[in-house]
Amino acid sequence: MQRFSPGALSRRAALALPFSLWATGASAFGDGGAFNPRLLRAGAQQALGVRSSGVGRWSWELVRRTSAPARLVPAEVAADRPALQAEPFAIWAGDLDPGPLSAAEVRGLTRFVRLGGVLLVDDSNPASGAFGRGARRELSRVLPEAAPVRLDPGHVIFKTFYIVDRPVGRVLGPPEVSAIVRGKNAQVIFLEHDLLGALARSGEGFALETEPGGMEQREHAIRLAVNIAMYVLCSDYKDDQVHAPFLMRRRARQKP
Amino acid sequence: MMLASLALAEGVPVATLWAVALLTLLSLAFLGFELRKREGGGGRVLLLTGALALVLLAAAVLRPARVNTRGVSVGAKVVVLVDDSRRLLLPSDGKTRRELALAATRDLSKHFSGARVSWLQFGAGEPRPLLVEQALAHPDPADLSDETDLTAALSALAQEPGERPKAVVVVSDGRFVRPASNADDTALRDLAAPLGAPIHTVAVTEHTPRDASIRSIHTSGAAVAHQALALTIEIACSGGLSCAEVPVTARELRHGVEPFTLATGVANVTGGSATVELSITLERAGARLVEVSIEPPEGDTIPENNTRILTFSVTRDRLRLLHVAGRPTYDVRALRMWLKSDESIDLVAFFILRTDEDNTETSDDSELALIPFPVDELFTEHLPSFDAVILQDIDAVTYKLARHLPALADYVRGGGGLIMVGGPSAFAGGGYARSPLESVLPVELKGGEQPFDTADFVPRYTEAGRSAPVLHGVTELFGDELPTFSGSNTLGPARPNAITLWEHPDRKAGRSAMPVLALGEAGDGRSIALGVDGTHALAFSEFAERAAGRGYGALWDGLVGWLMRDPRYEALRLELAGPCIAGLPARLRLVRLPGSVGNVSLELTKLGPQTKPVTVKALVDPPAGPLTLELGALDAGGYSASARVGAAPPTRFDFACERGGPAWSDSRPDPERLHKIAEASGGKAVSLGNIGDLPVPDPTPVAAERSSVPLLPAWAWTLAAALALGAHWYERRRQGLL
Repeated sequence: MQRFSPGALSRRAALALPFSLWATGASAFGDGGAFNPRLLRAGAQQALGVRSSGVGRWSWELVRRTSAPARLVPAEVAADRPALQAEPFAIWAGDLDPGPLSAAEVRGLTRFVRLGGVLLVDDSNPASGAFGRGARRELSRVLPEAAPVRLDPGHVIFKTFYIVDRPVGRVLGPPEVSAIVRGKNAQVIFLEHDLLGALARSGEGFALETEPGGMEQREHAIRLAVNIAMYVLCSDYKDDQVHAPFLMRRRARQKP
Repeated sequence: MMLASLALAEGVPVATLWAVALLTLLSLAFLGFELRKREGGGGRVLLLTGALALVLLAAAVLRPARVNTRGVSVGAKVVVLVDDSRRLLLPSDGKTRRELALAATRDLSKHFSGARVSWLQFGAGEPRPLLVEQALAHPDPADLSDETDLTAALSALAQEPGERPKAVVVVSDGRFVRPASNADDTALRDLAAPLGAPIHTVAVTEHTPRDASIRSIHTSGAAVAHQALALTIEIACSGGLSCAEVPVTARELRHGVEPFTLATGVANVTGGSATVELSITLERAGARLVEVSIEPPEGDTIPENNTRILTFSVTRDRLRLLHVAGRPTYDVRALRMWLKSDESIDLVAFFILRTDEDNTETSDDSELALIPFPVDELFTEHLPSFDAVILQDIDAVTYKLARHLPALADYVRGGGGLIMVGGPSAFAGGGYARSPLESVLPVELKGGEQPFDTADFVPRYTEAGRSAPVLHGVTELFGDELPTFSGSNTLGPARPNAITLWEHPDRKAGRSAMPVLALGEAGDGRSIALGVDGTHALAFSEFAERAAGRGYGALWDGLVGWLMRDPRYEALRLELAGPCIAGLPARLRLVRLPGSVGNVSLELTKLGPQTKPVTVKALVDPPAGPLTLELGALDAGGYSASARVGAAPPTRFDFACERGGPAWSDSRPDPERLHKIAEASGGKAVSLGNIGDLPVPDPTPVAAERSSVPLLPAWAWTLAAALALGAHWYERRRQGLL
C-alpha cells in the first residue's frame, strides 16, 4: 500500500474538488473516466424503489475506500439510447420478469457488449428469481453465441480490491457468481443476491435489512460491490503475475 | 611471315574426306586380297595401276588445293589484377598499400609494353576494369571491398569468352580470404589450371607493421533486447609488438550522452593472439551501435584497428512495457485492456488503488488484495528492462516517484520510451514541472499556472498531425474529427525537436496553440505527451461506436509503434548508399513513404554527448523518388541522421563510420601465400623492386591474309583418274581377269 508524503493533503483537497462538482452533476477534468454505476432501463419498467439509492452509495463507498473516482449522482440509461455506449458499465436490476426486449434494446445492448461494456444483472428478489430468469432469457437474444457460466472461486472479481470468499448481497444467495464470458472478460455478470438492496439507503441508515443478517454480511456485500467496480475499472489487473505470490500467501493465512 | 599448306577445295566438308579415304582403303584392301596368289610381274602391274586409279579418283573428288597464309605477330595478352580491398588503405612506408599498388602498375605497364595488358581490380567478387589515374585521384569507398577473394577473380577470368591470357599478374599484399592461407599445392594448381597460364605475383609490401588489433568479433545468436549476448573478441599483436594484458571495453554509443559501458575484460595475449569473451545486454531494440575497443601497448603503429563499431539490429522477444497509473479510471481500463489484448506486449502494471486517507473498513491488510507500490524497486533495479514506461495520471510527489525522475530521464535519453498520459495528477499537476523528467518531455511545463483546465473541448489536428503516419489509423477512421474531451492538462510550448499533432482550439502556450498531443526525441529515446485523460472515448463512446471501437487501438498502435521506432509509423526510410569509410565521402539514401510530401531536411549528429549537428541539409521541392544526400567525408564514429519530410515527425537512422573496419583487422601482409600461388601455377613471385624480373610471354601470331589455289583443275583430276582406270581395265583384260 502506498504511504502518504507530506504533500498528500493538498492532493486530497484537489481530488475533493471534482468530487463535489460531480455531486452536482457538473463536468470536470477526470470526471469522464470516473466509475459511474448507471441503472439500465430495458424491457418492462422495474419498481426499484429505495434500491435506486444503492448506486449512489456504491459510488460513495468506492470513493471512501479506494483511490478510484466515481460519480455520486445516480444516472439512468435506456438500452435503446446511444447514451448506453457512452460508458462501459451499467446495472440492470429488478424483481419482475422484464418481458421481451424491443429490437432497438437488443441492438443497443449488443453494441454495448461488443464494444467491451460490462453489464451487471442484479436480481432484487432472488427468492422468486423471475427477474434473473427473464434477464437471462432476453440476454440470450443479445448474445446468442454465449451462455452464462459459473465463475471460478479464483476469478479476479473476488480479489480486485478485497479478498472475497463468496458473493453476498441483501440475501446470502448462492455461493457463486455466473457470467457470460467473452474472450477473457466476464462481460455480463449475474448476481442472485440483491446487491443494490444491501447498499440502498433511507435517511441516515440502510433501507433494507440483510438476511440472514448482520453488519458483517452488509460489509461483505459492500466489499463485493467495490470489487465489481474495481473489475470494471482495472479488468484483470489482479491476475497479473506480480500479484500472485502476495495473494496466495494472504489466502493461505485467511484459511484455518 | 608467309606460310604454305595443303587443304581441301573450298566447300568440301571434312566428312567427305573421311568417307573417300575409307572407300579408298577398302578398295585397296580388296585389290590386295584379290591379287594375293598371283605371282610375277603381272600382279604388280595390276596393283600399281589399281592403286593409281584409286588415288586419282579420290583426288578428283577432293580436289586438293594449296593454301598460302601471310601472318603477323602481336603482343601476348596479359591480365593484371590489382587488389582493391580497403585493407590496401593501410599505411606502408609513408604511403598506403593502395598507392604502392597503383604505382606498381606504371612499372608493369613499362615492363609489359610489348604485350596487350588488361588492367583489372578485384575484391570480393568479379574483377572490374581499373582506371589507374582515376583510382589515384578519387578513391571511391563504394568501389573498395572489405576482403580480397582471388579465387573468385580467377574463376571469373577463366569463364570469360574470347582469347585466353598468356599470363596473369596479381598485385596485392597477399591477405586473401581465398585461396586460404593453408591451401595446399594441389588446390593452388587447380586454381590456375582453368586459365592455362602462369600467375605471377607482385607483393606490394613484405613489411609487417607493429600492430595490436581487434582481429575478429563473433556473436553467438541474434541480438534480442534485454537478453545477454556473448561477444567473442580475438585480439592479436604482430610485427614484434610486445603484448601481455590488453584491456578490452564494449560500449554502446548513444545520442546526447556519454557512451554507456556494457562490459570490460582483459585479453592475456600469448603467442601473438588471445580471445576474450564479453557478455553484453542491449536493452533497447532497433539499430544499436556498440563500440569495442582495446588499449594497445606502447608502440602500436595502426591505432585505427584498435576500435570496431558494430551495428546490431536488436529485436525484441516481446515489447516490455511498464504501465503505472495513479488511480483506476475508465481511461486506465481502456489502456490496460488494449495493452493486454496485444500478445506481443509483456505488460507490467501498477495502479494505485488505495491511499492512506482511504478507509477500507478493515484493520487487517490480509483481507485486502493490495500490494505495496514497489516504486524504488521498479525505477532502479527493473527500469532498464522495460522498452517503454507509461505514466498515467500519477502524482510524482505523493507516490515518491520524484526521487527517481533523474534516473527516468536518463533512461529515456539512453533509448527508452516514455508516454505521459494526462489527468489531474499528470504533468504540472503531478509535480513534473521543473523536474528532471520535464527535460525529456516533448513539451515545456509551467509550474505556477493552473495545472489543468476543466472546459470541454475538441482537439484540432495540426498540419503535422494530418500528415504523420502515427495518426493515419485514426484519420482513416474518423477523418479530421475527434471526440470531445472533459478538460486538458496545461502544457507549455513544444520543444524545438518536438512535433505537435493535436492542439487546443482555445488555450495558448506562449503565442501558439497549446499542444494536446506531442511527440519528441530526447537523446536516444522518444517521448510522448498526451494532455487529456479521455482517449478511452475512442474505445467506448457514441463517437467510438462509429468505428466499432477500433479508433482507440488505431491511436495507441500508432503511439506505441512510433515510440518503438516501428518503420510503419515513420514518414521515410534512411539507409547508407554504400559503406561509410572515415575520411572518404559518404552518402545517405532517403526513401519517402507514400503520402509523405514536402521539403526534406536532414540533420546529422555524431553520437555522444555533443548535440551540435555535423551536417545540416535542406532540399526544397525535391524530385519524386529516392533521394541521395551527400554527407561529405566523416570522421570515424557513430552517427545519427534525423530527417523530416514536410511537417511529419522526424525519422532517425543510426550508422557507423569506420576507418578500416574488418578490412584492417589483420594488417600483416602475406607474401608467402603469393609465392605459393605463383609457384603452383608456373609463375614468378616478385616484390615491387623486381618487377623487371617477370617473364614476358611470347607474342601471339595472327593470320592477316590467306589464299587458296587448286593444285590442278577439277577436269584434269577427272581425266587422269579416267585414264588410270582405263589402264587398269586394259591390264585386267590382258591378264584374263575379266
